[in-house]
Amino acid sequence: MDKYDLAHATVREILTEMKDISEIMVDLAYASIMFDSEEIAEEVQNLEEDMEELSKSIRTKAMLSARTHKDAAKLSSLLEVAAASRRISNAAGDIVKLMECEVDKRPFLTFILREAEEKIKRLVLADASDMVGRQIGDLGVESETGMRIIAIKRGKRWIYDPEEENKLKAGDTLIVRGTDDGFDVLRSFANGEEKWPVYPDEEEEED
Amino acid sequence: MDQLDEMLLELKDSSELMIDLAYSSLLYNNKEIAEEVILMEEMLDELANDIQRQAIARAMQDRDEGKAFTVIKLAAAVEEISDAAMQIAMVTIHDDEPHPVIRLSIKDADTTITLAEIKPGSDLIGKSLGKMRLASQSGMWVVAVKRDRKYLYGPEKNAVLELGDVVISRGPPDAEKYFQDLCSGEERLEEP
Repeated sequence: MDKYDLAHATVREILTEMKDISEIMVDLAYASIMFDSEEIAEEVQNLEEDMEELSKSIRTKAMLSARTHKDAAKLSSLLEVAAASRRISNAAGDIVKLMECEVDKRPFLTFILREAEEKIKRLVLADASDMVGRQIGDLGVESETGMRIIAIKRGKRWIYDPEEENKLKAGDTLIVRGTDDGFDVLRSFANGEEKWPVYPDEEEEED
Repeated sequence: MDQLDEMLLELKDSSELMIDLAYSSLLYNNKEIAEEVILMEEMLDELANDIQRQAIARAMQDRDEGKAFTVIKLAAAVEEISDAAMQIAMVTIHDDEPHPVIRLSIKDADTTITLAEIKPGSDLIGKSLGKMRLASQSGMWVVAVKRDRKYLYGPEKNAVLELGDVVISRGPPDAEKYFQDLCSGEERLEEP
């Protein structure tokens, strides 16, 4: 995740960041339960703290930017949206608190999460995969397979919500979210069975 | 899965759909979708209550408070997510026009929302979402379909798209154009 420069960030940037973080937190929270990972749970708690900072910052900035009554009214609903993101992040924080429950009381949760519409799964990147050495954004993993990489475990290290520029390495464990068939497609690329598709006539999209 | 598990699963899946719908309502200033979020929130409130009640009843029967505790906590957390969705939907309902920055922020996010109409010649006509594997093929997840004047929220895998449907979906910004082009018929679906 970007370390944002909060002092200079705009209201728009902070709101985007809050939306992104709140969503990745929910995914990570379910992933922590699914894979019984204290480490992922800890990251969710860290993100919850980041959210608090963002939340304070967006309020201050919004207040400073209101010049008229109308401005203030519109900004106050923008702050409602920010507050809702924060609420989602608190809920994610509550979900990881379930990790404190006795381990043998949780297996049914894993079982339930396996049946969800969009699932959280993991796979390992094989040496033979042509995804190895390439950037996530460059591959367009999510647009190609519908699977979002929510975390990567590389050796002992975790990378949460990896950036587009992040290069994949052989042996990486990817924690992903999406549909079953999306997972099958991604797995066939990740174990080297299928070649990552190349679109020769691909054009750079304009911003 | 027993009944309680299924209820929990429904609570979870619905809470996520509500978030997507809530952001869609904001992005398109669509009060009808926002109203649906409010309705869903009421339903999920009931569902969460039922789940919690059943969990307690079971704990009394099996003398196992551990599982009930976990279920009750989880249901409360997921319900909180649905409350957050309602909070977003309320902004759509109360504001004539949401602050433009809100829309820009949603568009800039890692996961955004897009809307497209199914035009003549589109590959998506007459096939079910599951069969054409739309989510994995396009990277976009359909959250609602508007057909004539009616909305279909959170369509199932077996839902079939028709000419003229307006499809609202969620996904990464770089998948948006391909999805739009699939709907307009400018792009073809890859053969599985």
